[in-house]
Formats: sequence, C-alpha cells, structure tokens
Amino acid sequence: MGQSAFALSPGRLKALALALWGVALLQSALSGRLDLLLRAVFHPLVWGSGILLLLLAAVEISGRWRDGSRSSGRWTSLLSIGAALAVLALPPRPSFADLAANRQANLLEEPGLSFVLPPAQRSLTDWVRLLRSEPDPRLYAGDAVRISGFVLPMPGEEPHLARLLVRCCLVDAVPVGLPVRWPAGEPQPRADQWLRLEGVMVSETVGERQRSVVEARLVEPIPRPRQPLEP
Amino acid sequence: MIAVERLATTWALFQALLVEAMPFLLIGVTLSTLARWISPGGKWVRDLPAHPLLGPLSGAALGFALPACECGNVPMARHLLVKGAPIATALGFLFAAPVLNPIVLASTWAAFPNQPWLLAARPLGAVLIAVCLATLLRLLPEHELLQPALLEERRLSQPLAEVTLLERRSGLIGVSADTAVPTLEGSSRRPPLGQVLSHGGSEFLELALLLVMGCAIAALVQTVVPRQWLIAVGGTPTLSILSLMLLSLVVSVCSSVDAFLALGFAAQVTPGAVLAFLLLGPVMDLKLVGLFSILLRPRAILLTAGAASLVVLLIGQWVNLLLL
Repeated sequence: MGQSAFALSPGRLKALALALWGVALLQSALSGRLDLLLRAVFHPLVWGSGILLLLLAAVEISGRWRDGSRSSGRWTSLLSIGAALAVLALPPRPSFADLAANRQANLLEEPGLSFVLPPAQRSLTDWVRLLRSEPDPRLYAGDAVRISGFVLPMPGEEPHLARLLVRCCLVDAVPVGLPVRWPAGEPQPRADQWLRLEGVMVSETVGERQRSVVEARLVEPIPRPRQPLEP
Repeated sequence: MIAVERLATTWALFQALLVEAMPFLLIGVTLSTLARWISPGGKWVRDLPAHPLLGPLSGAALGFALPACECGNVPMARHLLVKGAPIATALGFLFAAPVLNPIVLASTWAAFPNQPWLLAARPLGAVLIAVCLATLLRLLPEHELLQPALLEERRLSQPLAEVTLLERRSGLIGVSADTAVPTLEGSSRRPPLGQVLSHGGSEFLELALLLVMGCAIAALVQTVVPRQWLIAVGGTPTLSILSLMLLSLVVSVCSSVDAFLALGFAAQVTPGAVLAFLLLGPVMDLKLVGLFSILLRPRAILLTAGAASLVVLLIGQWVNLLLL
C-alpha cells in the first residue's frame, strides 16, 4: 500500500490531496458534521469549496497542465493526504459540558426579544433570554416548561440544562443554561447527556436573591439534536 | 476519562477552525489565481506607489477590491510580492485589507450598530497599524524579510536595473535543474487556464498544510487555557486590553466574524480592549503564524507580532483614556 502510494507521480499525489480535501469538506456537509461545527449561514461556503477542490483535482488528473513553477513536492501532498484522511476518518465528538466549562456563561449580550412565545413553546434559549430581560421570578411561577438541552455540571449546585450559542463556529460557542430542580429519588443525570425535560417554573431563594428554577416532572434522555448549536 | 473528553473537544475545535477558515483560504487562492491569469505580467502591481505612506495606504485600499479575511489575504499578498509590488504596498495590503473590506466592515456594523466610534476606529486603527508595520519592516533588507523561495520568484519580476543577474538566479548563467526558472510567474504572456489552476492547486496545498498546523495549535491552546482567565481582569484598563489581545491571538477566528465574538465581551471589558481584540486578530494570531511563514522569515514574523502588539496596546490605551 505504502509502496504504491510512493509509486504515484507528484502530479497524481497532488490530485489525490486536492480531491481528499474536497471530499472531506463535502462529507462534512453531507454527514451533518457541519451542524456540529459551524453556523448554517457558512455552510454554502464549505459546499462551494469542496466542489472547487474536486475541480482542481480533476484539472490535475487530466495531467495536461503540470505546474512546473512551484516545487511544493511530494511531502506537501503526502502530509496533506494524511491530514485530510484524519479529518475524514475521525468525526468531531466534542463534549459540550467540557467545552462549556471552559467558557463564561454570561458573556453574550443578548438582543431583546421581539415577541414572547407561550411558556410551553419556549426553547431553553428563549427562556434564558426572557429571564435576562425580565428576571422577576414571580412573573413565571407556575408556567409550563418544555425544553431540551445537555446536562452542564455546575460547581456548588445541581447541574443545569444548557445549550451552546454560536456566532460563527464551535470555537466561539458560549453556554446558556437554566437551573433545574431534578426529580427527587432519581440519580443525577450525567454530564453532557442530552435530555428533554417537562415541568414548571418555580421560584427559589439563593442567598438573598430570588431566581427562577425549572422543577422537572418528566426527564427523558434524547439523542443529540441534528443542529445542537443555536444562533 | 476527562483527558479523552478534552482530546475529543480539542479535535472538534480543530475541525471547526479548519472548516471555517479553509473556504476563505480558497477564496484568497482563487483571487490570486484569477489575478495571475487576467494579468500574467502583473505590470499594474509594479506601478503601485512605493512611497512610505502612500504605499501602505494604497495596499490597504486594495482590500475593498479584493475582499477576503486574513487567511485569504496571504496568497494574494504573496502574489503581489511575487509580481514585484513595492514592499510597503504589499505589507499594507497584508495587514490592513483583512479589516478594510466590505464584508468585515459590514459585520462590524451588524455587531455594533450603536457604537459608531468603533465603526470608525476599527478601519482607522487597521490603517495605522499597517503603516507602522510597513514602515518598520521595510527597514529590513528584502533577503532578511522575505522567504528565500518567494524572494527568488520576486526577483524575476523586478527590472534588471534593480537586481543583479546573480540575485535573479534567472537561469542565464548555468542554473541547475532543481533551481529551474519559475516559468509561470516570470512570463508576461497569458498562460493556459489549466496551467494557472494547477498552480493554484499547489498554492492551496502548501497553505492548507500551514493552516492545519495553525488550527491545531490554536485548538490545543483554547482547550488548555480556560477563557475565564483571559477576561477575568474585566474593567482594569491596561490589563483588559492585554488580556483581550491575548484572547485574539488564541481564538484565531476570521476577521469577517470576529466582531460577533467581540460583542460577547463588550459588556465586561473596557472599550479599548474591544477595539484591541478587533485590531490585533486580523494582523496576527496562532492560526496565521503558519501561513505567514510562506511569506516572511521567522525574525520578521516575530518583529511583526511584537510591533503589532505594541501599536494595538497604545491604540487601546488611547481609546480608554478618551472614553472612560
């Protein structure tokens, strides 16, 4: 195998490297990996780049135009092939809880809500934005809550249910979460686990401050959503 | 178990940085490839002003015509240098165009519509940094500034009145096969499109490899260093600027989207720190260090990093003095 790779001409190796990068980008888009890495608005750029790289590989394979002006060489192509194969073979499997632990939760300056959905239709992010714009817990006491998110361990208190918000890609993701009063007598959910949760919003006192907490009545494990990042 | 999770998160961050940056890199390679095909001799490039001030300014202004973020600007800057553009102009483009282009200005406006001072200060600051860096770096002789391979190609585009035959290594005096003349860059005849595309493919692979290394370093540092450490100093004027400068080096997001990230810190840090974040990232970050190595020698990269940091710190301090 290694023997045949080395037997390839520099032009063929270069074509293979370009094609593999093209395939890696297209496969990221087709397999849904991009949903985990990048906001949807940037996806067309990745598609376009994948197709363009395949076209460049086709130009190289045709062999009519050998680029004699640069000496990028065999090693550049081989290393590129290795990197592209690694990207293809090893899908991203980030731990959202681990990522969130490294970020400050209150970093995002949220835009004001243009309208407010009925309680049971609000997503976790809607709830967080609403509570930030109007934090008085008495306004929401008894409201039905139906949300989903991943379990985010919090130091010194029970785990929150959280989501990651992104502006661009996973690199700038910041967590937003809601405190949860988990059902009594059941084991604590494990970090990073995705859950759907039904319950009601209640008020609780922490120190001298009142805050809204979700009192969970139904907790159901769910697979990670196809688009786990929210704008 | 935690180590495995940390490794998996690092790998995901690496892929996120890579798939975000690679299309912009390809846009830059495409633009430089098109420029090479449309104007193979690149005479217009050599006609750009070499004046110490007008050079960087005209290079910066090219950003409006060639909108790409900092990754995409590297291949274009390389093209300008190869075609014999004045050093100050090419460096002005390299350092200022990532900010002075319509996409970046629009995204800055979208993120900070209520802060008109920032919309003015970001492009002005970028131009100031580019002029300072260009002025400083052009003091170095070209052989100490530019990578040897790039310098060799550049010599072919420079008139004989400026370089000697020996400096050109043009094949006129018995050059061996492995240092053959770069035919594509040297010619002023329009090459076939296929040949230009093949050249673009080679350029992309070289830069992609450097991008991979930069993304790997940036992802690793981001996972290891908690972000809270970097912004813990919040309202302290000087420390907040320094910490956000460090953050911009580490985070390595493209200039077209960094304003949205800065929006997240805006409430916690000083205005000078926000501006410093928006100014330093497009000039220097961990992801760019690899890409710059195709243009500049290591000493010049270090000088760029040091000088850019100093100018950005001073601009940030000045803004804090005015606004706090």
